[in-house]
Amino acid sequence: MQALRTAATGMAAQQMNVEVISNNIANMNTVAFKKQRAEFQDLLYQTFEAAGTQSSDQGTIVPTGVQVGAGVKAGAVYRVQTQGSMTRTDNPYDLAIDGRGYFQVLMPSGETAYTRAGNFAVNDQGQMVTQDGYLIEPAITIPADAVQVTVSKTGQVQALQAGQTAPSVVGQLELSTFINEGGLQALGDNLYKETAASGAPTNGTPGAVGVGTLVQGYTEASNVDAVAEITALIVAQRAYEMNSKVISTADNMLATANQVKA
Amino acid sequence: MDNAIYVGLSKQMILRKEMDIIANNIANMDTTGFKVESMMQKTDPQQPAYTFGGPRPVKFVSPDGVARDFGQGSLVKTDNPLDMAIEGEGFFQVRNSQGARFTRDGRFTVDNNGRLVNQKGEAVLDDAGGEIQIDPEKGQVSVGADGTLSQGNERVGKVGMYDFATPGVLEKAGDNQFRNTSNQQPTVAAEAKVRQGYVESSNVKPVIEITRMVEVSRSYERTAKMIDSEAELSRRSVERLGKLQ
Repeated sequence: MQALRTAATGMAAQQMNVEVISNNIANMNTVAFKKQRAEFQDLLYQTFEAAGTQSSDQGTIVPTGVQVGAGVKAGAVYRVQTQGSMTRTDNPYDLAIDGRGYFQVLMPSGETAYTRAGNFAVNDQGQMVTQDGYLIEPAITIPADAVQVTVSKTGQVQALQAGQTAPSVVGQLELSTFINEGGLQALGDNLYKETAASGAPTNGTPGAVGVGTLVQGYTEASNVDAVAEITALIVAQRAYEMNSKVISTADNMLATANQVKA
Repeated sequence: MDNAIYVGLSKQMILRKEMDIIANNIANMDTTGFKVESMMQKTDPQQPAYTFGGPRPVKFVSPDGVARDFGQGSLVKTDNPLDMAIEGEGFFQVRNSQGARFTRDGRFTVDNNGRLVNQKGEAVLDDAGGEIQIDPEKGQVSVGADGTLSQGNERVGKVGMYDFATPGVLEKAGDNQFRNTSNQQPTVAAEAKVRQGYVESSNVKPVIEITRMVEVSRSYERTAKMIDSEAELSRRSVERLGKLQ
């Protein structure tokens, strides 16, 4: 019976939905996390009687036809790229991006990854690194005797060294933008990788046309809305239950058919 | 006399198909832009081979098409700037390798060439049947109620909304899309409104589907019972006729 299989696709899709929602909730406090959403599509339809076919010699046509669908599938799981709110940390190496763009991170493999999580730190050589110790590009080295580090909205890094009155420029941060941010591939650890779908990155200084600006001393919070996620979770759970109900009803119908006395 | 069994069987076959449709509705409860369907049935008079007391029409049950409710689904806020929902009658048109497809699923995005596309990467067409180009560098896209896309002060295109005089000519093609099965040309829907940052959820009403499912299941049992008693009747008559001899 088709209904059994159809309901099974419904249960599988809702299970996937719950997985996506739980990942969102788990990452509610992850810096710069972008919530994801499972997108559903109906499956192919089996046509028993096509709409528009002639039903008589008089030229009358079947107005609607008979089509039975095979259920649902989870299509793309896409990221919602809205801005997360700014959280004040007062850490001079915490940089939030207001607007479009990603920091470039040099992976140990030599590849470049992209991130919006600007909670950086300084390593033993004074280089600005991510929390995993990966270097950011272009490389910024903070002098060992720096007493104050400021990052301007446009990404200029200045350090005030001990015994000096004026800060000196130690580097310029860049942001990469993509034509299709949704096409980036998540690598975990808040990192993303460029793909054919995202298009090649365009590097620019923060504050240029189409590029976001930097805010020092803040991190970008995740854009997960707890209330919306919990509501979605309830809907998914009920939909799952309802599909299981379809399975038991279809099963009952099959049992009825089996009980007919021969 | 066996007619009754076959009439019952014709009803059961419809009920199973109806169950499949209900299962599909429930499975797609959460599918954006999904339109609920229901089975229609008709009586199909056939001449019987023989009925006691002269020929009488026996009415079988046969499918009479699937009714599709194109009613508005509720709008769900997503805040995604390229999510669009249609309020009123009309469809977005996308183009894939097999031709034009119509959809109410307005979760669009921009591909690596800057085209406005759906989640499968198929180009969304404007009101003249052309593709729409968006340059993300120009900033936030805003969508007017008539589908006009603009970035800042610059108009970059207009999402086309198309309508059919008889939406029954559309056939579901899967992936939340419909296919035109006739020569009827779609017209630009002037009445429809686009809501930016919303998607249209399915118009499946779970309570109704569950109620119908219970109805189908009970009706199936009832028919099975009828077939049973009919078989019982013929068994008894064979027994009695045997005794008379």
